[in-house]
Amino acid sequence: MTSDQAGVPRDEPKAGVDLALWRRLWSFTRPFSREKRRLVLFAMGTALFDTALPWVTKAVVDDLTTAGASLPLGRYAALYAFLTLGLASCVMGFINSGGALRTGVSFEIRRAGFRNLQDLSFSFFDRRPVGWLMARMTSDCERLTNILAWGLLDLVWGFSVMSSVTVVMFLVDWRLALTLLSVVPALAWVSRYFQRKILSSSRVVRKINSKITAAYNEGISGVRTTKVFVRESGNADEFSRLTLDMRGASVRNALQSAVYLPLVLVLASLASGLVLGVGGSRVLAGAIPLGTLVMFLAFCHLFFDPIQELARLFAEMQMAQASAERVLGLIEEQPAIADSASVRANIANQTASARPADIAVDGGAAEIGVIRFEGVSFTYDGGQEVLRDFDLEVHAGETLALVGPTGGGKSTILSLLCRFYEPTSGRITLDGVDYTDRSLAWLQSQLGIVLQTPQLFSGSIAENIRYGDLEASDEDLHAAARLVGAEQFILGLDEGYATQVGEGGGKLSTGEKQLLSFARAWLKSPAILIMDEATSSIDTETERHIQAGLAQVLTGRTSFVIAHRLSTIRSADRILVIKDGRITESGKHKELLDLGGHYHELYTSQSLRETGQQPGAWDE
Amino acid sequence: MSQRAQDSLWSLSRGQRLRYLCAIAALAAGILLAFGLPLATRAAIDGPLTQALGRAGALPAEDNWLQELGVRLGAGVRGQLWLAGVIFLLLAALSGICLYFKTRLAASASEGMVCRFRERLFGHITRLPMSWLDDADTGDLVQRCTSDMETVRAFLSTQILEIARALLLVVLVTPILFALDVQLAMVALALLPVIVAFAYVFFSRIKSLFKTMDEAEGAMTTVLQENLTAIRVVRAFGRQEHERQKFEVRSANYRVHHQRFIKLLGLYWSTSDVLSMGQMGLVLIVGAWFTKSGDLSVGTLTAFLEYEALIIWPVRQLGRVLSEAGKAVVSMRRLREVLAVEEESALEGNTATVLPPLTGAIEVRDLSFAYKGGKPVLRNVSLSLAAGQTLALIGRPGSGKSTLVQLLLRLYDYEEGSIRLDGQELSSLPRQFVRSQFGPVLQEPFLYSRSLEDNLKIGAPRAGSESLHAAAGAAAIHDSIVEFQHGYETEVGERGVTLSGGQRQRVAIARALLCEPTILILDDSLSAVDTVTESAILAALTERRGQGTTILIAHRLSSVMHADLILVLEAGRVVESGSHQSLILEDGPYQRLWRVQGYLEDEIQSEGGRKA
Repeated sequence: MTSDQAGVPRDEPKAGVDLALWRRLWSFTRPFSREKRRLVLFAMGTALFDTALPWVTKAVVDDLTTAGASLPLGRYAALYAFLTLGLASCVMGFINSGGALRTGVSFEIRRAGFRNLQDLSFSFFDRRPVGWLMARMTSDCERLTNILAWGLLDLVWGFSVMSSVTVVMFLVDWRLALTLLSVVPALAWVSRYFQRKILSSSRVVRKINSKITAAYNEGISGVRTTKVFVRESGNADEFSRLTLDMRGASVRNALQSAVYLPLVLVLASLASGLVLGVGGSRVLAGAIPLGTLVMFLAFCHLFFDPIQELARLFAEMQMAQASAERVLGLIEEQPAIADSASVRANIANQTASARPADIAVDGGAAEIGVIRFEGVSFTYDGGQEVLRDFDLEVHAGETLALVGPTGGGKSTILSLLCRFYEPTSGRITLDGVDYTDRSLAWLQSQLGIVLQTPQLFSGSIAENIRYGDLEASDEDLHAAARLVGAEQFILGLDEGYATQVGEGGGKLSTGEKQLLSFARAWLKSPAILIMDEATSSIDTETERHIQAGLAQVLTGRTSFVIAHRLSTIRSADRILVIKDGRITESGKHKELLDLGGHYHELYTSQSLRETGQQPGAWDE
Repeated sequence: MSQRAQDSLWSLSRGQRLRYLCAIAALAAGILLAFGLPLATRAAIDGPLTQALGRAGALPAEDNWLQELGVRLGAGVRGQLWLAGVIFLLLAALSGICLYFKTRLAASASEGMVCRFRERLFGHITRLPMSWLDDADTGDLVQRCTSDMETVRAFLSTQILEIARALLLVVLVTPILFALDVQLAMVALALLPVIVAFAYVFFSRIKSLFKTMDEAEGAMTTVLQENLTAIRVVRAFGRQEHERQKFEVRSANYRVHHQRFIKLLGLYWSTSDVLSMGQMGLVLIVGAWFTKSGDLSVGTLTAFLEYEALIIWPVRQLGRVLSEAGKAVVSMRRLREVLAVEEESALEGNTATVLPPLTGAIEVRDLSFAYKGGKPVLRNVSLSLAAGQTLALIGRPGSGKSTLVQLLLRLYDYEEGSIRLDGQELSSLPRQFVRSQFGPVLQEPFLYSRSLEDNLKIGAPRAGSESLHAAAGAAAIHDSIVEFQHGYETEVGERGVTLSGGQRQRVAIARALLCEPTILILDDSLSAVDTVTESAILAALTERRGQGTTILIAHRLSSVMHADLILVLEAGRVVESGSHQSLILEDGPYQRLWRVQGYLEDEIQSEGGRKA
C-alpha cells in the first residue's frame, strides 16, 4: 500500500530491525483485534484470489491446446467474474480495516502522548522545543502507524502470495517451480539493497528541502535587513548552493530508482526466460500442458511484487526506528514531579467520604497561610546554580514585588513556588507542611498566573476568560472583564464576547491578549496570584485603565509580582531585590530608595525611560 | 509585459528541452523494446510448442521468425525455445537500459528546471519593493515558495512522464494489437477510456473531502501547539483534563475524516480492480472464443493478455495523475503572480564601486510621503545636516520617525519633495549604492540563523577579527559573546542560543558599526538595553563625531540631548527643531518633556534625598 504521510528526516538506518521496539509499539494495536483479524483475513483472501486468477487462464489455454477438449466458455467467464469480484471485495475489505486500524492506532498513540505531556515536568519541556514535540506527535506518529497497519498488510499479503504460489507451483511441476525460485535470492538481495539506499537518499532530499524552506522563511522575514546591508547577491549565492545540493541529491535519488527498477525488470525477465526454456522443454516432452507454462509466466510477475514490497517495508522499519524510540520515549517518560505515594493514599481516603470545606482533596488544610522557603537551592538540569540557600517567608494577603537584573533568579523563585520545579535542596512549606507532601493538582489549583507573553487558546473571547473557571456564569465573566478594563475593547468588537480570537489569540493585539489573561486569572479568584512581568507588554495608556482593577485584585490576596513598571512595584507591601540568587535588599519603596542601593539606581534610570513613553509627557 | 512570457514553464525549460525530448525518446524506445517481450512468447508458443503438439492453427514455419532464425542457426526445437528465452532477456535488458536513461535524463532536466526556478524566485523576492512586501502575507508567500513549488516539481519530474508513459503505451500498443488481430484489438481497448475517466472523476471529486480532512488535522495540530506553548497556563489553571478532552475531540474528529477518506480510496481501488480485471477477462474469454473458432492462434491470445497486463496499470494511474496535474496549473499560476510583481528599480549592475563614497551631508526639502493607500505619514519635512553631525528624531510612535529613516535607505520611494545626499538627489542614486553608505540598526533587528560572527559580518564580509571585536566592544556585546560556550561561533536562532532583546539590539549595533558607515542609523535601538549599558554605547558612539553622520531615534532625552540637531515630529510634521539648548528655551513639546523628566528626577532626588 502507499503511505499517505511522509516522515521527518534526521535519522539514519540502523543495523537491523529492532523487534523489541516494534513489539512495544505494536501494543497500541491491542484495542483493534477485530480490525487486525479482518485485515489478516482480507489480505490472505486477496493473495488466494491473486493466485487463482492465472489458473483460469491456464485452464482456458489447456482446453484450447488439448485436442478434443470442450471449452465451456460460459463457465470460465462466470468463474473469472467470481474471482474478480472476490478479489475486489477483499481489496476493499483490507483497505477499510487497514484504514480503521491505522487511524485508530494513530489516535491511541496521540492520546497517550498528549495525556503524558500534560503530566510531564517542566524540566522535560526545557530540553525539548515545541516544534520538536509537535513533530513527534504528528508526522512521526503518522509515519509509524502507516508502517504498523500497511506493514501488517504487506507482510500478510506478501507471505500469503508467495506461499500459495509456491504451493501451487510445486503441486503442478516442481522442476519448473525450482527454476522460477532460483532467481528469487538475487531479487531479494537487489531489492533489499536498493530500497534502503533509495529511502536514505530520499531522506537526504527531505532534509535539504527543510533547509530550503528555512531559507525562504528567512529570506522573506529578513528581507529588510538583506536590503539595507546590500546582501541580495550574497544571500542568493548561499541559496544557490542549497538548491544545487538539492538538485544533486534529488538526481541521486532518482538515479537509484533508475538502476533499481530496470534491474528488477531484467531479473523478472530472466525468470521468464528460464521458465520459457525449461517449461517449453517440459511441454515438448509432454510432461506439462501449454497452459501450465502460461500460468508460470504469469506467476513470475506475481512472485516479484511481494518481494519488492517486503524489502521496502523492512527498509522503512529500519529508518523509522529512531522515530519509534522518540515517540515511545515521549509516552513512557515518567513525570519528575508527581504526587508521592502517601499523598495519593491520602487523596484516595478523602474521596471516600464527604469532606468539610476547610479540608483539601489530599486531607490537608484547604487554605494557604504562611509560605516559607527554607534554605532552598536550585540548579537547572546540568546548568549553574540559580538559587543558593534562599529563605523567604510570606504571609497570607501580602503583595510581594521582586525586582533585580535578568538571570538573578526572580522567575525561578516563582517557578519553584508553583512547583513547576522542586528545590534541589532545602524545602518549601505551606503552613509548616513540606509542599511535596501535598497534592500537586491542589496546589496548582490555588494559583493564578499572568505571564509576560499572554497565551490564549483558539476560540471565543468568552471561552478564553472562562478558562479561569469553567463553571462561571456570564455575569461573573463580564464582571471579570470589566474589572480589568477589558470590557471596553471587547464590546467594541463586532461580535463582542463571542468574537473568535484566532490561533493563539493571533487576531488580538498583545495588550488585548494580556487584558484577557488578567480577566481569566481574576475569574479564577486564586489564593495566590503570580504576575511575571505581566504589564510590560501593555502600553502605558492601557495600563492606566487596569491600574484600579489591578489594585483591587491584589488587595487581600497573596501576590508575587515581577515587574519593571514602577507603578506596580511601588504599591507592594514588600519589595525584594534579587541578585545572584539572593535577596540583597528588602523593604518598602521608600525604605529602599533611602538605602541608595540597587533599587535606587534602578528606579532612577527607569523613571526617565518611562516618562519618554508616557502619553502624558507629550500632551499639554 | 514580457515578464509574463518569461516566467512560463516553457521559458524555464530553456536548456532542458533537449533532455526532456531525449527522455521521451528513451521512454518510447524502452516501451517498444518491452513490447517485443510478448511477441517472443507468442513466437515460442505458436512455433516450436504448438507444432510439437501437432495442433491445427499453428502458423507455418516460414511465417514464424523464431523458427526461421532457429533453422538458420541450426537449432533444434529445444534450441528455438532457449533462443526465445535469450531474446526475451535481451529485450528486457535493452528496455531496462532505455528506462534508465529516461529516468536519468528526466531527473536532471526537471531538477535543473526546478533549481533554476527556485533561484529565480528567491532572487526575485529579495528584489521586490518593500511597499509590496509590507502588504504580503509572509506565511502565504513561504507556502507558495515551498508547497506550490513542490507541486510544480512533482509535475515536472514524475507526472509529466507518467502521463507520457500511459499515452505512449496506448499509442504504441494500438498498431501492434491491430496488426495481430483487429477484432480482439478493439475488445482489448474497449474499457480503457472508462478506467481513465473513472479515476479522473473520482480523484477530482474527493478533492473537497481531502480539504476537510486537512482542516480537521489542522484543528488538532492547533490544539496541540497551543497546549504546548501555553503549558504554564494549563498547569497553573489545573486544566490538564480539560485540555485532554479538547485534544481528544479534535483528534477523534480527524480520525473519523481520515478513516472516511481511506474508505473512499478502498471503494476506488476495488472498483478500479473490477474494471481492470474485467478488461483482462474480456480479452481472455473473447480471445478464447476466437481461438476456438480458429481465427486466432494461442500465442496471439497470450500475447494479448501480456500486452493488456503491461498497459493496464499505467492506464489506471493516468486518471489520478491527470487530476493531480491540475494542481500544478493552479500552483504555477500562484508562483507567476509573485514573479509578475515588478522588482525595485536601479538595483542591477555593480554601480556601488563606480561612485565615490559620500561624506554624509543630508538635505531634505519639503518631503511628504504616504504609504500605499494610506494617510500621509510625513508632511513637508525639511532638514539640513552637515557631514559628521548627529541628528536626533523624537516623537511618539507613529509620528513618522522610522519612515523618514526608511526613505533615506531607499526602502520606499518618495514622490513629493527632495532628499539630497552630498547634494545629489537620492532617487537618482542606485539603491545598492545608497544603502551601502549606511550602517542601519532597525527597530526589532533581524538576525540570521547562523553564527554570531557571520551575523556581524553581514555588511562587511571581509572584516578582520580585530575590527570585529572592536565593533562588538563598542556595542557592549563583546563580553557577553565571549561568555557563550562557542564565543563568536555561537549559532543564533532555533538551533543555537536565544538572545534577549537587549542582546539582539547590541549585536545589531555592532553589525552596523562594523560596516564603518558614512551614516549610522539607530532606530529605537537601545530600548531593551539597560541604562548603564546604554550610556556606555552612547559614549562609544560620540567617538564617531566629526567622522560620520549619525541619525538617532530615541525616547530618552538624555540620549538625544547631545545631538547637533533635534527634530520633534508630530503626525508627520516637524513641530520643533534645533539644538537642545535652543529647544529647552522654546515653549513647546520638547520643553514640556524636559520639564516632566526633570520634575521626576527632582522627585527622586527628594524621595531618596536623605541618602543622596
